[in-house]
Amino acid sequence: MGGLKRKSSSSAKALAKSKKKKGPHLPNSILKVIANQKRPLNSDEEDDDDVIGSDDEHGGDLYEYEEGVPEEESRKNNRYDRHENYDYELPEDFEDENVESEDDDDGGNTDNDEAEGDDDDDDDRHTRMLQSLTGMPSAAFEGESKSKPVLFTEAYPEGEFNPTRDVLEGKNVLTEEDFLAPLEGTPGYQKTSKQIARMRKDTKHVVHAPLPKPQRERLERKAVIGLVDEEFSKWVHLVKKNREAPTVYFNQDVDLGYSTVGAIASEFQPRTEFEKKMASVLNDSEVSEAHRDDGARLLELNEVSMEDHIKDHNHIAKMRSLLFRHEFKSKRIKKIKSKTYHRLKNKDLKNSSLGALMDPEMAKEEAMRQEAKRVEERMTLKHRNTGKWAKRMISRGLNVKYDGPKAAIAEQLQMNANLSRKMNSMRDGSSSDESDDEEEFNDGSDEDTPSRLIAKAKEKTLKALEDDEVPNAGLMSLPFMARAMKKKNEEANEEAKRALEEYEEWENSGGENSKKSVTVSGRRVFGATAKVEAPKESRKDSDNFYDDSDSDNDMARIEDNNIEPVRDNASPARNTITETEFDDDVAGNPASKTTFDVAMFASGSWKKMTGSKNTESKKASKKTRAPIPQAQDKKGPRDEESGDSESEAEQMVDGVLTSTSKETFEVPSQAELINRAFAGDDVLDEFEKDKEEVLNQEVPKPEKPVLVPGWGDWTNIQKKRGISKQMVQKHDAEKKEWEQGLKTRKDARLKHVIISEKVDKKAEKLHTTTLPFPFTSKEVFEHSMRMPIGPEFNPSTIVGELNRPEVVKKTGVIIKPVKFEEVNPNDEVDDEHPRNHQKQRPKKKTSRRQGKVKSK
Amino acid sequence: MEVALEDNNLMEKVLPPDEQEIDVELEAKEKKYLRGEGANLESLKDKKLKTQLASREKLYGKSAKAAAKIEKWLLPASAGYLETEGLEKTWRIKQTDIAKEVDLLSSRNQYDIVLPDFGPYKLDFTASGRHMLAGGRKGHLALVDMMNMNLIKEIHVRETVRDVAFLHNDQFFAAAQKKYSYIYARDGTELHCLKERGPVARLRFLKNHFLLASVNKIGQLHYQDVTYGDMVASIRTGKGRTDVMEVNPYNGVVALGHSGGTVTMWKPTSQAPLVQMQCHPGPVSAVAFHPNGHLMATSGKERKVKIWDLRKFEEVQTIHGFHAKTLSFSQKGLLAAGTGSFVQVLGDSSGGGHSRYMSHPMVKGYQVEKVMFRPYEDVLGIGHSMGWSSVLIPGSGEPNFDSWVANPFETSKQRREKEVHLLLDKLPPETIMLDPSKIGAMRPSRRKEKPTRGEIEAEKEVAIEAAKSVEMKKKTKGRNKPSKRTKKKKELVENAKKTFPELEEKNIAGKKRRIGEDAAAELPTSLKRFARKN
Repeated sequence: MGGLKRKSSSSAKALAKSKKKKGPHLPNSILKVIANQKRPLNSDEEDDDDVIGSDDEHGGDLYEYEEGVPEEESRKNNRYDRHENYDYELPEDFEDENVESEDDDDGGNTDNDEAEGDDDDDDDRHTRMLQSLTGMPSAAFEGESKSKPVLFTEAYPEGEFNPTRDVLEGKNVLTEEDFLAPLEGTPGYQKTSKQIARMRKDTKHVVHAPLPKPQRERLERKAVIGLVDEEFSKWVHLVKKNREAPTVYFNQDVDLGYSTVGAIASEFQPRTEFEKKMASVLNDSEVSEAHRDDGARLLELNEVSMEDHIKDHNHIAKMRSLLFRHEFKSKRIKKIKSKTYHRLKNKDLKNSSLGALMDPEMAKEEAMRQEAKRVEERMTLKHRNTGKWAKRMISRGLNVKYDGPKAAIAEQLQMNANLSRKMNSMRDGSSSDESDDEEEFNDGSDEDTPSRLIAKAKEKTLKALEDDEVPNAGLMSLPFMARAMKKKNEEANEEAKRALEEYEEWENSGGENSKKSVTVSGRRVFGATAKVEAPKESRKDSDNFYDDSDSDNDMARIEDNNIEPVRDNASPARNTITETEFDDDVAGNPASKTTFDVAMFASGSWKKMTGSKNTESKKASKKTRAPIPQAQDKKGPRDEESGDSESEAEQMVDGVLTSTSKETFEVPSQAELINRAFAGDDVLDEFEKDKEEVLNQEVPKPEKPVLVPGWGDWTNIQKKRGISKQMVQKHDAEKKEWEQGLKTRKDARLKHVIISEKVDKKAEKLHTTTLPFPFTSKEVFEHSMRMPIGPEFNPSTIVGELNRPEVVKKTGVIIKPVKFEEVNPNDEVDDEHPRNHQKQRPKKKTSRRQGKVKSK
Repeated sequence: MEVALEDNNLMEKVLPPDEQEIDVELEAKEKKYLRGEGANLESLKDKKLKTQLASREKLYGKSAKAAAKIEKWLLPASAGYLETEGLEKTWRIKQTDIAKEVDLLSSRNQYDIVLPDFGPYKLDFTASGRHMLAGGRKGHLALVDMMNMNLIKEIHVRETVRDVAFLHNDQFFAAAQKKYSYIYARDGTELHCLKERGPVARLRFLKNHFLLASVNKIGQLHYQDVTYGDMVASIRTGKGRTDVMEVNPYNGVVALGHSGGTVTMWKPTSQAPLVQMQCHPGPVSAVAFHPNGHLMATSGKERKVKIWDLRKFEEVQTIHGFHAKTLSFSQKGLLAAGTGSFVQVLGDSSGGGHSRYMSHPMVKGYQVEKVMFRPYEDVLGIGHSMGWSSVLIPGSGEPNFDSWVANPFETSKQRREKEVHLLLDKLPPETIMLDPSKIGAMRPSRRKEKPTRGEIEAEKEVAIEAAKSVEMKKKTKGRNKPSKRTKKKKELVENAKKTFPELEEKNIAGKKRRIGEDAAAELPTSLKRFARKN
């Protein structure tokens, strides 16, 4: 080590010297000696390098006069001002990089040894040479060569940072022994010497030179990585758990401050005077105590001063008097009535029946007015649905359909009945002609003499026809009223004329028809009578569904035949039951559920049906024969079908008709019939053509390459060559593609099915174009989508779990970074009890710590 | 000893037989509620997704289990059935025999209502089965409360009525009349006259979509939204006149039966039929759909009834020997067929196809016009030429109703609430498709897609390889020089390369140009002339 230091210092010195090398003038002889010393006389060429290299080494050995440091710089006695030395000097603790590596060091050492060896040889020769020259014993020179006295004048005072030359050269270095020597003999000496010996042996405590930086850092990194890995691997399970958890919860207990009203109220401090007063009363211990006891003492506490009492009393008295006055005033006002009030009141009194009773004249007048009204009604028949509106309603049947018109018409009829009713009350009074007539009419009807009745009616209508006068004065004289009257009269006249005609008819026919027409209208109940007849006709026929033989399976037919008798027995029984049921219904309760009062139209339509029954049956028999010639026709079945749907009336009684007409011709066998019916129908062929067409549309067939005239057929050779190879190849490729397309279709193997594979653009938005992020395979994605997660499809116990968001968190909760907690890697993700899980968290943490401590 | 131990363990594990049975039952139900199997998660690389999906799948399993348990324990009513002993056959049992056995309330459902005047009756029930609408051919419309057999309203429109249909509840119904179809309120008030459709032959209402579908005399199919009255679609079927129309309750697809023996299926957003099936050689007389949407029954005039699987579009079963004028599936999958004056009910009891279950002969001469099962009751309504009848078919109706879906005992308040919910849940017309479970899935790839770069490169390599391996013909002396052969080969390879245009370079060139243009465009006009021109 000492050698190292010397070398470094020498090199430093050499640097410093390169500038200061201005020694004193030496005589030439000495210079020569020096040169000789520099280059030994007998040195070979090979040594040149070495010598030159050793120039520096030996430079320090020269006795050299060194110029004294200027006094300013030496700072002797600080007599001069401080002068900065601008010459660059390496710092004292400068270490050459080369020196630091151990290998280098070793190498250096060996080099030095060799060099020393060389030096020794050289020195030997040199001394011998000097001996021979000077004749002096070699010992005189030996010391000179071995110990090279060097004079150093130090620039700085000797100290810790500026060691002496001896120290630098490794000579006279202080060792432990030096320190120990003076202590020899003292009591602790043995111990310390032993300690030191031990220290020397103890190689551990030898401080080696630090490793080069990159190596050191590499090692450091290696060590750190191990540590970090260990530390981080602890977190892996936790992180994995969090990553894989379907839901992460952050709603750990949050302090929201006040939770109840009571908590808020307890904080209340009375501030205003009023509040303070209230508080003093509320917090009065006496009051609260009184409350707690039985409330009897409360009265005592509720003492009111005399002054207050009087004030209160006065106030109430004042209010009462005010109220009384107001009431009084309003009473008086109420009594006062206006002139018009009284006038109207009197009028009312007069008009009332009471007045009429009092005054015979008035009564008579009233009666006259009523009578006039009635006469008018009878004349004009204004309320007998003869109005334009009523007629229209009836003609369109709207009075049946809707309630409003129905009610209005009923009301009119009622009015008419009221007005035209015979008035018994009037009979005793001044007997008018009309009443007499009524009576006679009534009698007539009783006696049942239609001819006389008719005659009378005729007479009356004639009379009415004659006296259609127009009043000259009053409201009726106004032009529009007159017009209306005229119209009305005309209508009435017309009606009267019609009535006359009718009367004449009746007179001719003897009035028998009239009775019939009366009986037609009214309610009608559908009973068994109409219904039973139709089915009975067909009962005997073996027109059974299964009876018809089928060529396809004989077994079925045999079975059917076996069943036949059973069913035949069964069906009549069932029929009778239903019939009797309905009979009962009709007899017992005509308005029961099974009957429908659809009278108005029912009667008509039923009649029509029965009426046309005969003609229809003829028609139908014709029709049943028709299919045979039609069967040869191609469109046979279609025609038949359309005919069926068109003749609705016929269809209804179809069953009856076929059964009756069946006897007329032989039924051909089923297979024969089918063959005939579908003889010309090449339905399957048509379908195949259709399929081809659709396929062509969806997967277009490539066109065959054709020679276009004018292109490539200029010469015969070209024609002979035919279509170019390229075109053929292209066509082949297209064809292959087309075939592939056809093969991949869903309906490729189904001959009877065409499945359209057109893309529905509107439905495209219902599909995803790309897979959503974490998914990489279509299949997995579609499988994961198969289960609906809505509340309609899942039990309510699972819906919450199925739809829980990825992160559950209350608003305002601060999400803290993940804290370490021990997780068992074998534990599966458990999402069952989130709340428990959450509560357990802090507990787990503590347990983890304990575990950690234990492990350490 | 070991064996004995195991045996002991086994003994512990084995449950009592009835519990085992329950387990099996529950498992079957669970499977139903799981709606298919989960994806294979093993193939997933994303661990996070894998565990998330696994936990999801677990939740689904839990949900299915809970649902199965609820169904097991909270839906106590069991479906009806008809059991025979020895040589007895179920189809020989008559209604009179049944009437003796059933309770009073059920026996009330056996009745005939004779209304001979207004011709064959069409029937329709509300979804809950509470109300029935009967439409007589000659204009008699009757709305009946089936619970208390109360005639709510009866009107006479005095013209032909071809079909009737309830709208979303008993408050409104539509009738296809002679010239137009009309919408009436419950009290018989005419609300709308639907003139746009022309003379309608059949009317059906799509409950989830609020569409009134109709097919008219000239074979046009119309869809009208009844919420705002817009005509959503009018489609010309081009197959001629038809009066066979039915809605698939599962997906809302409308099926029409045609005279050529084809059944076509339609949706409002496409003018072409979704599916065309050649079902019969002769005209199709009736079509019916199973409530789960997988089965379709068709009847041809050649006296055959066929049952089809709609998932595969294949025939499942052919029933020979009769043709049906009208067909109807019950909620439990019984199939009723009516012809002439005879009604036949087919059941799928053993799972091996539909076979005869019950039959009901009407009075001779009654022509069955329409059969329809009453929802949530073991009752079959039969509309015929002389009124309508109701017979008991044990095991036809769903025994447990879901009051959120259809409640026969609905109060007016509930009805109003429901109406609002229904409107909120209304589906747009484009959701009608053959497989509605595909909604939300990936869009089916188009037939023609641009090949990816990788594919192009692969193809190119293949082409080059092919060009290289082409064997040269041996040619005459002068032309067969090796130099010429190599030249030729090079040419071939070059040609093979040429067929694949180099996309990249083009793109780059395009980009460059674009950049230059942009720069020019961005500059103010005064400086534009200084922009570099490429």
